[in-house]
Amino acid sequence: MRLIRYSYPASRAVSSFGFNRSLFGGLDAEINRLLTSASTGFETTAATGSFPVDLYQDEANTFVRAELPGVARENIDVEVIGEELTITATRKTPAAGEQAETSTATSRTVTVPEGTPADKVTAAYENGVLTVTLPKPEAAKPRKVNVQIS
Amino acid sequence: MSTQTIASVKPVYQVTETAEAYNLTVQLPGVPKENLEITGENGEVRIVGRRSWQQPEAWKSVYRETGDYQYELVLTHDNAVDVDATQAELRDGVLRVTLPKAAALKPRKIAVS
Repeated sequence: MRLIRYSYPASRAVSSFGFNRSLFGGLDAEINRLLTSASTGFETTAATGSFPVDLYQDEANTFVRAELPGVARENIDVEVIGEELTITATRKTPAAGEQAETSTATSRTVTVPEGTPADKVTAAYENGVLTVTLPKPEAAKPRKVNVQIS
Repeated sequence: MSTQTIASVKPVYQVTETAEAYNLTVQLPGVPKENLEITGENGEVRIVGRRSWQQPEAWKSVYRETGDYQYELVLTHDNAVDVDATQAELRDGVLRVTLPKAAALKPRKIAVS
């Protein structure tokens, strides 16, 4: 079985218009993309790569789960600014032999509903997976009102 | 281990070599210690890791980039590894395995008399 990593349609459109004005109208770029994603696998969490993110929701919360294996808790930064949640992970490779210590930061940004109470956002990190819980804004929660019938 | 078949995928891994050992680093996000199996036999090191987290019923998935697969990595070696002295450490979803080289392969200093 082979899965091909999802890439955002918008960013693909940009690349095929901006950089690949070829006879094939971006088809070669598309093939390259497929070949690259097939050879690197679909979850490149290597030092330079980005990390995969899952989104879930239930009635009261939105959940963001990010796979960040090997990143220490103190090197994970979760920020909510306005309608955006940004997760920044800094991966540090300790100095080994002649190589100096390296530090690579990667981040992902997710749009969250307007009015998300930023002070009630919580995050937990377990087994290399970060789970961020964002309570939904009051207005977005389904409200049940019992109406008395007289 | 359960007999249920779960799709498995090869995890991201890296092997480095020192004079004494091969160091294997495997990224296994979501796998706790109790769901990890490492076996070494017939010149083969097999690592199988299952995720412990299950999507609660009330959670609806909106967007996924990961799968519910298990991880499986099989590496073959030419029996130049001292399987009994293998050490493994799993922390924050990263497994580090030290596979000491068999005595015959280690650099040996020969004193000149």
